[in-house]
Amino acid sequence: MNIQEHLPILVVAIPILMSALMIMLRSRPALQKTLNIIVSASILLMSIILLLQVWNSGIQVYEVGEWGKYGIVLVADLLGSGMVVLSSGISLLALIYSLDYIEGKSLNTTYHSLFNLLVAGLNGTFLTGDIFNMFVFSEILLLSSCGLVVASENGGVTKVSDKMEATFKYLILNIIGSMVMLIAVASLYATMGTLNMADLSVKIATLSDAGTMPWHIYFIALLFIIVFGNKAAIFPLHYWLPDVHPTAPSPISAMLSGVMIKVGAYGILRVYFLVFKDALFLLQPIIILLALITIAIGSIAAVGQKDVKRLLAYSSVSQIGYVFLGIGMGTAYALAASLVYLVNHAIAKSMLFLTSGGIIHHAGTRDMHQMGGMAKSAPLMSSMFLIGAMSIAGLPPLGGFIAKFVLFDAAMLGEYYLPVLIGFAFAVFTIFYMFRAWLLMFWGEARDSKKYGPYPSHGLSPMITVPIIILAAAVLILGVYSEPLIALSSEIANQLLDPQPYINAVLGGSVR
Amino acid sequence: MTTLITKTITKICIPLVSLFSISLLLAGHNNPGGGFIGGVMFASVISLTYVVFGLNYTKSFFNPSWDKLFGAGLLIASLTAFGAILYGNNFFRSSIKFVDIPLYGEIELASATLFDIGVYFVVIGTLLHIFKNVGEDK
Repeated sequence: MNIQEHLPILVVAIPILMSALMIMLRSRPALQKTLNIIVSASILLMSIILLLQVWNSGIQVYEVGEWGKYGIVLVADLLGSGMVVLSSGISLLALIYSLDYIEGKSLNTTYHSLFNLLVAGLNGTFLTGDIFNMFVFSEILLLSSCGLVVASENGGVTKVSDKMEATFKYLILNIIGSMVMLIAVASLYATMGTLNMADLSVKIATLSDAGTMPWHIYFIALLFIIVFGNKAAIFPLHYWLPDVHPTAPSPISAMLSGVMIKVGAYGILRVYFLVFKDALFLLQPIIILLALITIAIGSIAAVGQKDVKRLLAYSSVSQIGYVFLGIGMGTAYALAASLVYLVNHAIAKSMLFLTSGGIIHHAGTRDMHQMGGMAKSAPLMSSMFLIGAMSIAGLPPLGGFIAKFVLFDAAMLGEYYLPVLIGFAFAVFTIFYMFRAWLLMFWGEARDSKKYGPYPSHGLSPMITVPIIILAAAVLILGVYSEPLIALSSEIANQLLDPQPYINAVLGGSVR
Repeated sequence: MTTLITKTITKICIPLVSLFSISLLLAGHNNPGGGFIGGVMFASVISLTYVVFGLNYTKSFFNPSWDKLFGAGLLIASLTAFGAILYGNNFFRSSIKFVDIPLYGEIELASATLFDIGVYFVVIGTLLHIFKNVGEDK
């Protein structure tokens, strides 16, 4: 077999192997760092090759252990491999950033192996074609991210007790979410007798065509809203996010906000549009309603925040609402728009979290009222935060503008006038809170140095600035030259709405 | 917990339970058993020693670093899975071979056993690392 055919498993298995190696190499910190960066970069490279392969020659299926549809199947379609490219790109940059940002002791002991497990969990969730396997990978994701949230950063701005409290909330709530997922998966298995998603899709479609779909399929489908809504922090399950994302060290906040909450959106897209496509008519109004409430709550809460990372976390809540709005509308154009939105938000928000790490490093605090006038002392951070804020707010030359534009355009074409109105009203809120934060931190007088002391500025190393600049360039490029992303997203949306090629690729057109 | 009865029983248990855990491990891939329960069994007898003889006393003559064992186990398990790729098969494809040993008879060599050994080490390493660290906590 050609090595290129192994790519879907390699992007999942190499991080697991590395996480084992990193435990063995604890006494060699320098080697750990170089090895981890090389591996992350090569995973990014492999994921790009995988995406190109899928783009050129269609959906790729990889049977782990050669057991056919009865074993674990990895399926790389455009959505999955695209998400893998996004997550490996962001995780490479977050890793480079964290080498200087995370405190040495916690970096050398657990950080590298947990980070690799996180990457493995993300890639596995995006590529698996088996619904129980998705549960397993999301558990890996949850547990490794819990360990990473408590990693301590240099300077110690966040108290350990706060971290413990946030992690406890995160762990308990998400384990309850996993329980619900386990119940949903088990009931699906008890009803249909299979866990392979393509197989499930065929069987549910057969039952639905015959008019004998069991009524509890609808309830199982509703359970998945709880599962993925909890992962993506959709109202009423959004309240853990504003505690966890700010207390995590900044590179991990970037991973959590940039990629991990997108796992929820990915799960909805994968499970609903493949498995439960016959129950979608029932679910779409619910998703739209929850998305609108999420948008409203996130933006209103973000206006009143004084902690910069907490503001960004509430902003994430509100922005993931827009992604779900597109998913809820469910036309090809709306799905493409929500994918464009997802990518833009992932890049801009992870960049903002990385920048906020630089700002905290510069000011020595997370409280925006204790900052001010930093445009002069930290010009780079100030311009980078402005780029990110403009993109999240949706101002023209940046990616966020394109994302909001296509989303609202799709909603208008679908005649969803009220959701557009609500979404637009809270987009104005977004502009307000992002610029309020920017003005508070960077404009005006420098802070009262008698009361708070001068800025303990000790400059930022290139390990911290370069990832931010790369992400800022990506935000700008996605705004100016967004055609490739929109073309890719439309193709993904078409694949989602017509799952037949996916099913054919997995089941091979014959019953085995 | 340090009565004569528990000490004597523990001394009897250590060889019995550890041998039984290994036999469970080796039976694993086609009989009831496997790396996980074998590992749990082995970890249970070591933690019994910790409880009965005291952590400090046990550490004075037997103090491996369990976290390294965890890493080694994960490494063995994942390398086994990678091994299939080197032989041109899919990841995790297991292979089996029957070998005749003179005087003993036929024995079965399966690559699944290697994976189980990895799991065995991971389970022992994790459980005892947690157990020891919680015990050391003041």
